[in-house]
Amino acid sequence: MSTLHFAPRVPVIDANVCVGDAHTGPSPCRNRQQLFDEMDFHGIERAVVYHIQTEEISPVDGNHQLEDWLDDDRLIPQWSVLPTDDSIEQIQRLYREKRVSSLRLHHTRPAGLPFCTWGYDVLLDWLSDTGIPLWIPLTENDPTELVTTLREFPGVRVVFVGAHYTHALLVRPLLKTLPDAFLELSRYEPIGEIEALAARFGAHRLIYGSWYPRYAMGPMLFYLHHTRLTDEELADVCAGNVRKLLGIG
Amino acid sequence: MIDGCRVIDFHGHVGRWDRYGMKDDPGLMLRAMDAAGIDVSCLFTIFHPDGTTGNDLSAGFIARHPDRFVGFAYVSPMMPERMIAELERAIDTLRFVAIKLYPPYTPRPFHAAPWHPIYEFADARGLAVIFHTDQYPTNRPRFLEDIAPLYPRANFVAGHSGNVEEARVEAIAAARKYPNVYLETCSTYRTPGVIEQLVNEAGADRVLFGSDIPLMDPRPQIGKIVTARISDEAKRLVLGANAARLLRGVERTS
Repeated sequence: MSTLHFAPRVPVIDANVCVGDAHTGPSPCRNRQQLFDEMDFHGIERAVVYHIQTEEISPVDGNHQLEDWLDDDRLIPQWSVLPTDDSIEQIQRLYREKRVSSLRLHHTRPAGLPFCTWGYDVLLDWLSDTGIPLWIPLTENDPTELVTTLREFPGVRVVFVGAHYTHALLVRPLLKTLPDAFLELSRYEPIGEIEALAARFGAHRLIYGSWYPRYAMGPMLFYLHHTRLTDEELADVCAGNVRKLLGIG
Repeated sequence: MIDGCRVIDFHGHVGRWDRYGMKDDPGLMLRAMDAAGIDVSCLFTIFHPDGTTGNDLSAGFIARHPDRFVGFAYVSPMMPERMIAELERAIDTLRFVAIKLYPPYTPRPFHAAPWHPIYEFADARGLAVIFHTDQYPTNRPRFLEDIAPLYPRANFVAGHSGNVEEARVEAIAAARKYPNVYLETCSTYRTPGVIEQLVNEAGADRVLFGSDIPLMDPRPQIGKIVTARISDEAKRLVLGANAARLLRGVERTS
Protein backbone atom coordinates (compact mmCIF):
# COMPACT_ATOMS: atom_id res chain seq x y z
CA MET A 1 0.00 0.00 0.00
CA SER A 2 1.42 3.38 -0.99
CA THR A 3 1.56 6.33 1.37
CA LEU A 4 2.71 9.89 0.85
CA HIS A 5 5.89 9.04 2.72
CA PHE A 6 8.22 6.25 1.77
CA ALA A 7 11.00 4.56 3.67
CA PRO A 8 12.57 1.23 2.74
CA ARG A 9 11.74 -1.71 4.95
CA VAL A 10 14.95 -3.60 4.20
CA PRO A 11 18.62 -2.64 4.34
CA VAL A 12 19.72 -0.90 1.17
CA ILE A 13 23.04 -0.62 -0.63
CA ASP A 14 22.93 1.62 -3.70
CA ALA A 15 25.16 -0.20 -6.19
CA ASN A 16 25.67 2.69 -8.58
CA VAL A 17 26.53 6.19 -7.34
CA CYS A 18 28.79 8.68 -9.08
CA VAL A 19 30.70 11.32 -7.12
CA GLY A 20 32.47 14.44 -8.27
CA ASP A 21 31.50 17.39 -10.45
CA ALA A 22 30.74 17.03 -14.15
CA HIS A 23 31.81 19.52 -16.78
CA THR A 24 28.12 20.16 -17.45
CA GLY A 25 27.56 21.30 -13.89
CA PRO A 26 28.37 20.58 -10.25
CA SER A 27 26.99 17.54 -8.52
CA PRO A 28 24.10 18.13 -6.12
CA CYS A 29 26.37 16.58 -3.46
CA ARG A 30 29.69 18.43 -3.32
CA ASN A 31 31.16 16.45 -0.43
CA ARG A 32 30.83 13.26 1.54
CA GLN A 33 28.51 14.66 4.20
CA GLN A 34 26.08 15.97 1.61
CA LEU A 35 26.07 12.54 -0.01
CA PHE A 36 25.41 10.92 3.37
CA ASP A 37 22.53 13.36 3.93
CA GLU A 38 21.02 12.34 0.58
CA MET A 39 21.47 8.66 1.37
CA ASP A 40 19.93 9.14 4.83
CA PHE A 41 16.91 10.91 3.33
CA HIS A 42 16.19 7.85 1.20
CA GLY A 43 17.09 5.26 3.84
CA ILE A 44 20.22 4.02 2.06
CA GLU A 45 22.89 2.59 4.32
CA ARG A 46 25.82 2.22 1.96
CA ALA A 47 26.71 3.02 -1.64
CA VAL A 48 29.12 1.72 -4.25
CA VAL A 49 30.78 4.87 -5.58
CA TYR A 50 32.94 5.75 -8.57
CA HIS A 51 34.34 9.11 -9.67
CA ILE A 52 32.95 10.95 -12.65
CA GLN A 53 36.43 11.80 -13.90
CA THR A 54 36.80 8.13 -14.79
CA GLU A 55 33.91 8.27 -17.27
CA GLU A 56 35.24 10.52 -20.02
CA ILE A 57 38.73 11.63 -18.99
CA SER A 58 40.92 9.27 -16.98
CA PRO A 59 40.21 6.17 -14.93
CA VAL A 60 43.70 6.43 -13.42
CA ASP A 61 43.29 10.05 -12.29
CA GLY A 62 39.65 9.60 -11.39
CA ASN A 63 40.52 6.67 -9.12
CA HIS A 64 42.96 8.96 -7.28
CA GLN A 65 40.19 11.57 -6.93
CA LEU A 66 37.84 8.94 -5.55
CA GLU A 67 40.16 8.51 -2.55
CA ASP A 68 39.09 11.95 -1.26
CA TRP A 69 35.50 10.69 -0.92
CA LEU A 70 36.10 7.49 0.94
CA ASP A 71 35.31 6.88 4.57
CA ASP A 72 35.67 3.71 6.59
CA ASP A 73 32.30 2.25 6.07
CA ARG A 74 29.45 3.76 4.10
CA LEU A 75 31.07 4.35 0.73
CA ILE A 76 32.42 1.28 -1.06
CA PRO A 77 34.96 2.29 -3.71
CA GLN A 78 34.53 1.12 -7.27
CA TRP A 79 37.65 1.62 -9.32
CA SER A 80 37.45 2.20 -13.05
CA VAL A 81 39.75 0.40 -15.45
CA LEU A 82 40.73 0.21 -19.10
CA PRO A 83 43.07 -2.34 -20.68
CA THR A 84 46.29 -0.34 -20.50
CA ASP A 85 49.36 -1.33 -18.53
CA ASP A 86 49.23 1.60 -16.10
CA SER A 87 45.51 1.25 -15.46
CA ILE A 88 45.78 -2.48 -14.77
CA GLU A 89 48.88 -1.92 -12.61
CA GLN A 90 46.98 0.64 -10.56
CA ILE A 91 44.15 -1.81 -9.99
CA GLN A 92 46.49 -4.66 -9.16
CA ARG A 93 48.27 -2.49 -6.59
CA LEU A 94 44.93 -1.62 -4.99
CA TYR A 95 44.04 -5.31 -5.03
CA ARG A 96 47.26 -6.20 -3.20
CA GLU A 97 46.19 -3.61 -0.59
CA LYS A 98 42.87 -5.53 -0.34
CA ARG A 99 40.89 -2.50 -1.50
CA VAL A 100 39.18 -3.86 -4.61
CA SER A 101 35.72 -5.39 -4.40
CA SER A 102 34.52 -4.35 -7.88
CA LEU A 103 35.68 -2.60 -11.03
CA ARG A 104 33.91 -0.42 -13.58
CA LEU A 105 34.64 -0.62 -17.29
CA HIS A 106 35.88 2.56 -18.94
CA HIS A 107 34.40 2.98 -22.40
CA THR A 108 37.16 2.59 -25.01
CA ARG A 109 35.10 2.32 -28.16
CA PRO A 110 35.27 6.09 -28.90
CA ALA A 111 39.03 5.63 -29.07
CA GLY A 112 38.74 2.75 -31.50
CA LEU A 113 39.08 -0.20 -29.15
CA PRO A 114 35.97 -2.37 -29.06
CA PHE A 115 35.22 -4.69 -26.14
CA CYS A 116 36.98 -7.66 -27.71
CA THR A 117 39.16 -10.54 -26.64
CA TRP A 118 42.30 -9.31 -28.42
CA GLY A 119 42.03 -5.97 -26.57
CA TYR A 120 40.78 -7.09 -23.16
CA ASP A 121 42.21 -10.57 -22.61
CA VAL A 122 44.77 -9.57 -19.97
CA LEU A 123 42.18 -7.72 -17.89
CA LEU A 124 39.51 -10.38 -18.30
CA ASP A 125 41.94 -13.18 -17.41
CA TRP A 126 42.82 -11.30 -14.22
CA LEU A 127 39.14 -10.78 -13.37
CA SER A 128 38.52 -14.47 -13.94
CA ASP A 129 41.41 -15.43 -11.66
CA THR A 130 40.46 -13.02 -8.86
CA GLY A 131 36.67 -13.24 -9.08
CA ILE A 132 36.36 -9.45 -9.00
CA PRO A 133 33.04 -8.43 -10.61
CA LEU A 134 32.97 -5.86 -13.42
CA TRP A 135 30.30 -3.19 -13.79
CA ILE A 136 29.59 -2.53 -17.49
CA PRO A 137 27.35 0.38 -18.58
CA LEU A 138 25.00 -1.05 -21.16
CA THR A 139 24.43 2.45 -22.50
CA GLU A 140 27.96 2.60 -23.88
CA ASN A 141 28.73 -0.87 -25.08
CA ASP A 142 27.80 -2.94 -28.08
CA PRO A 143 25.80 -5.98 -26.96
CA THR A 144 27.25 -8.21 -29.66
CA GLU A 145 30.77 -7.43 -28.44
CA LEU A 146 29.70 -8.02 -24.85
CA VAL A 147 28.25 -11.44 -25.56
CA THR A 148 30.98 -12.57 -27.95
CA THR A 149 33.79 -11.57 -25.64
CA LEU A 150 32.30 -12.50 -22.28
CA ARG A 151 31.40 -15.97 -23.55
CA GLU A 152 35.13 -16.60 -23.85
CA PHE A 153 35.62 -15.72 -20.17
CA PRO A 154 32.84 -17.63 -18.41
CA GLY A 155 34.34 -17.07 -14.98
CA VAL A 156 33.99 -13.29 -15.18
CA ARG A 157 31.00 -11.91 -13.32
CA VAL A 158 29.51 -8.76 -14.81
CA VAL A 159 26.85 -6.32 -13.74
CA PHE A 160 25.11 -4.60 -16.62
CA VAL A 161 24.38 -1.05 -15.58
CA GLY A 162 21.76 1.36 -16.84
CA ALA A 163 19.52 -0.93 -18.91
CA HIS A 164 16.63 1.18 -20.20
CA TYR A 165 13.36 0.48 -21.97
CA THR A 166 15.30 1.06 -25.19
CA HIS A 167 17.22 -2.10 -24.25
CA ALA A 168 14.02 -4.10 -23.76
CA LEU A 169 14.84 -6.50 -26.60
CA LEU A 170 18.35 -7.16 -25.24
CA VAL A 171 17.95 -7.78 -21.56
CA ARG A 172 16.40 -11.22 -21.50
CA PRO A 173 18.72 -12.68 -24.16
CA LEU A 174 21.71 -11.20 -22.32
CA LEU A 175 20.71 -12.71 -19.00
CA LYS A 176 19.96 -16.05 -20.66
CA THR A 177 23.20 -16.16 -22.65
CA LEU A 178 25.49 -14.96 -19.86
CA PRO A 179 24.55 -16.87 -16.70
CA ASP A 180 27.15 -14.95 -14.66
CA ALA A 181 25.62 -11.59 -15.56
CA PHE A 182 23.60 -9.46 -13.19
CA LEU A 183 21.30 -6.54 -13.97
CA GLU A 184 21.47 -3.22 -12.16
CA LEU A 185 18.07 -1.60 -12.16
CA SER A 186 18.55 2.19 -12.07
CA ARG A 187 16.85 2.85 -15.42
CA TYR A 188 14.88 -0.33 -16.07
CA GLU A 189 11.26 0.69 -16.38
CA PRO A 190 9.43 -1.58 -18.89
CA ILE A 191 6.13 -2.31 -17.23
CA GLY A 192 6.14 -5.32 -14.92
CA GLU A 193 9.55 -6.45 -16.09
CA ILE A 194 11.34 -6.49 -12.75
CA GLU A 195 8.83 -9.03 -11.46
CA ALA A 196 9.01 -10.92 -14.75
CA LEU A 197 12.83 -11.03 -14.70
CA ALA A 198 12.80 -12.18 -11.09
CA ALA A 199 10.40 -14.96 -12.00
CA ARG A 200 12.36 -16.00 -15.09
CA PHE A 201 15.99 -15.63 -13.97
CA GLY A 202 15.79 -15.26 -10.21
CA ALA A 203 15.83 -12.21 -8.01
CA HIS A 204 19.41 -13.12 -7.11
CA ARG A 205 20.51 -11.62 -10.43
CA LEU A 206 18.92 -8.23 -9.90
CA ILE A 207 20.63 -5.35 -8.10
CA TYR A 208 19.28 -2.02 -6.93
CA GLY A 209 21.31 0.96 -8.05
CA SER A 210 20.20 4.54 -8.63
CA TRP A 211 22.98 5.97 -10.83
CA TYR A 212 22.74 9.08 -8.68
CA PRO A 213 23.04 11.95 -9.52
CA ARG A 214 21.91 11.20 -13.06
CA TYR A 215 18.80 9.80 -11.46
CA ALA A 216 17.24 10.33 -8.08
CA MET A 217 17.80 7.65 -5.43
CA GLY A 218 14.19 7.25 -4.33
CA PRO A 219 12.02 6.27 -7.33
CA MET A 220 13.46 2.84 -8.16
CA LEU A 221 13.65 1.98 -4.46
CA PHE A 222 9.96 2.92 -4.18
CA TYR A 223 9.22 0.76 -7.22
CA LEU A 224 10.99 -2.27 -5.79
CA HIS A 225 9.00 -1.92 -2.57
CA HIS A 226 5.74 -1.96 -4.54
CA THR A 227 6.32 -5.12 -6.58
CA ARG A 228 5.34 -8.70 -5.90
CA LEU A 229 8.87 -9.61 -4.83
CA THR A 230 8.86 -11.49 -1.54
CA ASP A 231 10.47 -9.77 1.42
CA GLU A 232 13.46 -12.10 1.04
CA GLU A 233 13.79 -11.26 -2.65
CA LEU A 234 13.42 -7.55 -1.90
CA ALA A 235 16.19 -7.76 0.69
CA ASP A 236 18.41 -9.56 -1.80
CA VAL A 237 17.81 -7.06 -4.60
CA CYS A 238 18.26 -4.05 -2.31
CA ALA A 239 21.45 -5.22 -0.63
CA GLY A 240 22.00 -8.97 -0.30
CA ASN A 241 22.98 -9.65 -3.90
CA VAL A 242 25.54 -6.87 -4.08
CA ARG A 243 26.97 -7.90 -0.72
CA LYS A 244 27.58 -11.40 -2.04
CA LEU A 245 29.02 -10.09 -5.28
CA LEU A 246 31.41 -7.76 -3.52
CA GLY A 247 32.27 -10.25 -0.80
CA ILE A 248 31.41 -7.80 1.94
CA GLY A 249 29.45 -8.03 5.17
CA MET B 1 -5.72 6.09 -3.48
CA ILE B 2 -2.75 7.24 -1.43
CA ASP B 3 -3.45 8.46 2.09
CA GLY B 4 -6.98 9.47 1.10
CA CYS B 5 -5.78 11.20 -2.05
CA ARG B 6 -7.35 10.11 -5.32
CA VAL B 7 -4.51 9.54 -7.77
CA ILE B 8 -4.92 10.34 -11.47
CA ASP B 9 -2.21 9.50 -13.98
CA PHE B 10 -2.41 12.17 -16.67
CA HIS B 11 -0.24 10.42 -19.28
CA GLY B 12 -0.80 6.90 -20.54
CA HIS B 13 -1.07 4.99 -23.79
CA VAL B 14 -3.02 2.33 -25.58
CA GLY B 15 -1.13 0.31 -28.18
CA ARG B 16 2.09 -1.60 -28.64
CA TRP B 17 5.60 -0.37 -29.36
CA ASP B 18 7.23 -3.72 -29.70
CA ARG B 19 10.87 -2.73 -30.00
CA TYR B 20 10.69 -1.08 -26.58
CA GLY B 21 8.68 -3.75 -24.83
CA MET B 22 5.57 -1.60 -24.61
CA LYS B 23 2.38 -3.63 -24.54
CA ASP B 24 -1.09 -2.51 -23.48
CA ASP B 25 -1.94 -5.55 -21.40
CA PRO B 26 -4.77 -4.31 -19.15
CA GLY B 27 -3.98 -6.89 -16.47
CA LEU B 28 -0.35 -5.77 -16.31
CA MET B 29 -1.37 -2.14 -16.27
CA LEU B 30 -3.99 -2.56 -13.55
CA ARG B 31 -1.63 -4.60 -11.35
CA ALA B 32 1.00 -1.87 -11.59
CA MET B 33 -1.60 0.83 -10.96
CA ASP B 34 -2.99 -1.00 -7.93
CA ALA B 35 0.47 -1.55 -6.50
CA ALA B 36 1.24 2.15 -6.85
CA GLY B 37 -2.12 3.45 -5.62
CA ILE B 38 -3.24 4.91 -8.96
CA ASP B 39 -7.02 5.15 -9.26
CA VAL B 40 -7.44 6.34 -12.83
CA SER B 41 -5.14 6.53 -15.85
CA CYS B 42 -5.76 8.87 -18.77
CA LEU B 43 -5.05 7.02 -22.01
CA PHE B 44 -4.63 7.83 -25.68
CA THR B 45 -3.43 6.12 -28.85
CA ILE B 46 -0.96 8.13 -30.89
CA PHE B 47 0.20 5.46 -33.32
CA HIS B 48 -2.39 6.04 -36.08
CA PRO B 49 -2.24 9.35 -37.97
CA ASP B 50 -5.90 9.42 -38.94
CA GLY B 51 -6.91 9.73 -35.30
CA THR B 52 -10.03 7.61 -35.78
CA THR B 53 -8.28 4.24 -35.72
CA GLY B 54 -6.43 5.03 -32.53
CA ASN B 55 -9.37 6.68 -30.80
CA ASP B 56 -11.51 3.63 -31.51
CA LEU B 57 -8.79 1.40 -30.08
CA SER B 58 -8.63 3.58 -26.98
CA ALA B 59 -12.42 3.49 -26.61
CA GLY B 60 -12.48 -0.28 -26.88
CA PHE B 61 -9.71 -0.65 -24.31
CA ILE B 62 -11.31 1.79 -21.88
CA ALA B 63 -14.74 0.17 -22.19
CA ARG B 64 -13.39 -2.95 -20.49
CA HIS B 65 -12.47 -0.98 -17.33
CA PRO B 66 -14.37 2.32 -17.47
CA ASP B 67 -13.89 2.92 -13.76
CA ARG B 68 -10.09 2.89 -14.12
CA PHE B 69 -9.37 4.53 -17.46
CA VAL B 70 -10.50 7.64 -19.29
CA GLY B 71 -9.73 8.59 -22.88
CA PHE B 72 -8.03 11.57 -24.49
CA ALA B 73 -8.68 12.22 -28.18
CA TYR B 74 -5.78 12.11 -30.63
CA VAL B 75 -5.72 13.93 -33.96
CA SER B 76 -2.96 15.07 -36.29
CA PRO B 77 -2.62 18.19 -38.45
CA MET B 78 -1.14 15.93 -41.13
CA MET B 79 -4.76 15.01 -41.90
CA PRO B 80 -6.40 18.39 -41.35
CA GLU B 81 -9.66 17.52 -43.05
CA ARG B 82 -10.34 14.92 -40.37
CA MET B 83 -9.33 16.86 -37.26
CA ILE B 84 -12.43 18.65 -36.05
CA ALA B 85 -14.97 16.01 -37.02
CA GLU B 86 -12.85 13.44 -35.21
CA LEU B 87 -12.52 15.61 -32.13
CA GLU B 88 -16.28 16.09 -32.05
CA ARG B 89 -16.80 12.35 -32.36
CA ALA B 90 -14.23 11.54 -29.70
CA ILE B 91 -15.59 14.02 -27.17
CA ASP B 92 -19.32 13.73 -27.86
CA THR B 93 -19.71 10.07 -28.82
CA LEU B 94 -16.73 8.28 -27.32
CA ARG B 95 -16.94 10.52 -24.21
CA PHE B 96 -13.26 11.33 -24.14
CA VAL B 97 -12.31 14.09 -21.75
CA ALA B 98 -9.28 15.91 -23.18
CA ILE B 99 -6.93 16.03 -26.19
CA LYS B 100 -3.48 14.56 -26.75
CA LEU B 101 -1.15 15.84 -29.46
CA TYR B 102 2.20 14.40 -30.56
CA PRO B 103 4.24 16.98 -32.53
CA PRO B 104 7.29 14.71 -33.12
CA TYR B 105 5.25 12.81 -35.71
CA THR B 106 4.89 15.97 -37.80
CA PRO B 107 7.28 18.49 -39.36
CA ARG B 108 5.28 21.34 -37.86
CA PRO B 109 6.12 23.06 -34.57
CA PHE B 110 3.00 22.99 -32.49
CA HIS B 111 2.49 26.75 -32.47
CA ALA B 112 2.17 26.78 -36.28
CA ALA B 113 -1.11 27.56 -38.01
CA PRO B 114 -2.17 24.00 -38.91
CA TRP B 115 -2.53 23.13 -35.23
CA HIS B 116 -4.77 26.07 -34.30
CA PRO B 117 -8.18 24.62 -35.27
CA ILE B 118 -7.52 22.06 -32.51
CA TYR B 119 -6.88 24.83 -29.99
CA GLU B 120 -10.01 26.69 -31.08
CA PHE B 121 -11.99 23.51 -30.47
CA ALA B 122 -10.39 23.02 -27.06
CA ASP B 123 -11.05 26.65 -26.15
CA ALA B 124 -14.71 26.43 -27.17
CA ARG B 125 -15.17 23.28 -25.07
CA GLY B 126 -12.91 24.22 -22.13
CA LEU B 127 -10.73 21.18 -22.67
CA ALA B 128 -7.18 20.33 -21.65
CA VAL B 129 -4.61 19.62 -24.36
CA ILE B 130 -1.46 17.66 -23.51
CA PHE B 131 1.54 17.77 -25.86
CA HIS B 132 4.72 15.79 -25.97
CA THR B 133 7.40 18.40 -25.25
CA ASP B 134 11.18 18.25 -25.35
CA GLN B 135 14.22 20.04 -26.78
CA TYR B 136 13.59 19.22 -30.45
CA PRO B 137 12.36 21.78 -33.00
CA THR B 138 8.69 20.83 -33.28
CA ASN B 139 8.21 20.22 -29.55
CA ARG B 140 9.64 23.18 -27.64
CA PRO B 141 7.65 24.19 -24.55
CA ARG B 142 8.22 27.86 -25.32
CA PHE B 143 5.57 27.49 -28.05
CA LEU B 144 3.03 27.38 -25.24
CA GLU B 145 3.59 31.10 -24.74
CA ASP B 146 2.31 31.67 -28.29
CA ILE B 147 -0.79 29.55 -27.79
CA ALA B 148 -1.98 29.89 -24.23
CA PRO B 149 -2.95 33.57 -24.31
CA LEU B 150 -4.96 33.10 -27.50
CA TYR B 151 -7.12 30.36 -26.03
CA PRO B 152 -7.74 31.24 -22.38
CA ARG B 153 -10.55 28.73 -21.82
CA ALA B 154 -8.36 25.79 -22.85
CA ASN B 155 -5.67 24.38 -20.60
CA PHE B 156 -2.34 23.41 -22.15
CA VAL B 157 -0.17 20.74 -20.58
CA ALA B 158 3.53 20.34 -21.30
CA GLY B 159 3.88 16.59 -21.32
CA HIS B 160 7.19 15.55 -19.73
CA SER B 161 7.68 19.22 -18.76
CA GLY B 162 10.20 19.48 -21.59
CA ASN B 163 12.09 16.34 -20.48
CA VAL B 164 15.56 17.95 -20.29
CA GLU B 165 16.74 21.06 -18.51
CA GLU B 166 16.98 23.43 -21.48
CA ALA B 167 13.35 22.69 -22.39
CA ARG B 168 12.14 22.38 -18.81
CA VAL B 169 13.04 26.00 -18.09
CA GLU B 170 10.89 27.00 -21.07
CA ALA B 171 7.98 24.97 -19.73
CA ILE B 172 8.29 26.54 -16.30
CA ALA B 173 8.52 30.03 -17.80
CA ALA B 174 5.33 29.43 -19.79
CA ALA B 175 3.51 28.15 -16.70
CA ARG B 176 4.62 31.16 -14.67
CA LYS B 177 3.36 33.52 -17.33
CA TYR B 178 0.02 31.96 -18.19
CA PRO B 179 -2.50 30.45 -15.77
CA ASN B 180 -3.71 27.93 -18.32
CA VAL B 181 -0.34 26.19 -18.73
CA TYR B 182 0.44 23.06 -16.72
CA LEU B 183 3.46 20.80 -16.33
CA GLU B 184 3.24 17.02 -16.43
CA THR B 185 5.91 14.89 -14.75
CA CYS B 186 6.47 11.65 -16.62
CA SER B 187 9.98 11.27 -17.93
CA THR B 188 12.64 8.65 -18.39
CA TYR B 189 15.00 11.33 -17.08
CA ARG B 190 14.43 11.04 -13.34
CA THR B 191 16.92 13.76 -12.47
CA PRO B 192 17.10 14.64 -8.77
CA GLY B 193 15.40 17.87 -7.87
CA VAL B 194 13.14 18.15 -10.93
CA ILE B 195 9.85 17.61 -9.11
CA GLU B 196 10.94 20.13 -6.50
CA GLN B 197 11.88 22.58 -9.26
CA LEU B 198 8.52 22.26 -10.99
CA VAL B 199 6.59 22.72 -7.75
CA ASN B 200 8.75 25.51 -6.36
CA GLU B 201 8.99 27.52 -9.56
CA ALA B 202 5.63 26.97 -11.24
CA GLY B 203 3.50 26.20 -8.21
CA ALA B 204 2.18 22.91 -6.85
CA ASP B 205 -1.23 23.68 -8.33
CA ARG B 206 0.22 23.58 -11.85
CA VAL B 207 1.97 20.21 -11.81
CA LEU B 208 0.34 16.95 -12.90
CA PHE B 209 1.52 13.41 -12.20
CA GLY B 210 1.94 11.24 -15.28
CA SER B 211 3.73 7.96 -15.94
CA ASP B 212 3.73 7.10 -19.68
CA ILE B 213 2.14 3.77 -18.77
CA PRO B 214 2.61 1.17 -20.30
CA LEU B 215 5.78 2.38 -22.04
CA MET B 216 7.13 2.80 -18.53
CA ASP B 217 6.00 1.19 -15.32
CA PRO B 218 4.11 3.80 -13.29
CA ARG B 219 5.71 2.82 -10.01
CA PRO B 220 9.06 4.66 -10.40
CA GLN B 221 7.19 7.65 -11.81
CA ILE B 222 4.91 7.88 -8.81
CA GLY B 223 7.98 7.23 -6.66
CA LYS B 224 9.39 10.48 -8.02
CA ILE B 225 6.50 12.37 -6.43
CA VAL B 226 6.33 10.47 -3.15
CA THR B 227 10.09 10.71 -2.53
CA ALA B 228 10.39 14.36 -3.55
CA ARG B 229 11.16 17.03 -0.97
CA ILE B 230 7.78 18.73 -1.27
CA SER B 231 4.95 19.13 1.21
CA ASP B 232 2.13 16.62 1.64
CA GLU B 233 -0.27 19.21 0.30
CA ALA B 234 1.86 19.62 -2.81
CA LYS B 235 1.97 15.84 -3.27
CA ARG B 236 -1.82 15.66 -3.07
CA LEU B 237 -2.20 18.40 -5.67
CA VAL B 238 0.30 16.81 -8.02
CA LEU B 239 -0.95 13.27 -7.60
CA GLY B 240 -4.57 13.96 -8.38
CA ALA B 241 -6.28 17.13 -7.23
CA ASN B 242 -4.94 19.23 -10.12
CA ALA B 243 -5.94 16.63 -12.70
CA ALA B 244 -9.42 16.34 -11.25
CA ARG B 245 -9.80 20.11 -11.52
CA LEU B 246 -8.65 20.11 -15.17
CA LEU B 247 -10.95 17.26 -16.02
CA ARG B 248 -13.87 18.73 -14.08
CA GLY B 249 -17.32 17.71 -15.07
CA VAL B 250 -16.11 14.29 -16.09
CA GLU B 251 -18.05 11.82 -13.97
CA ARG B 252 -15.39 9.10 -13.99
CA THR B 253 -12.81 11.32 -12.33
CA SER B 254 -15.04 13.04 -9.75
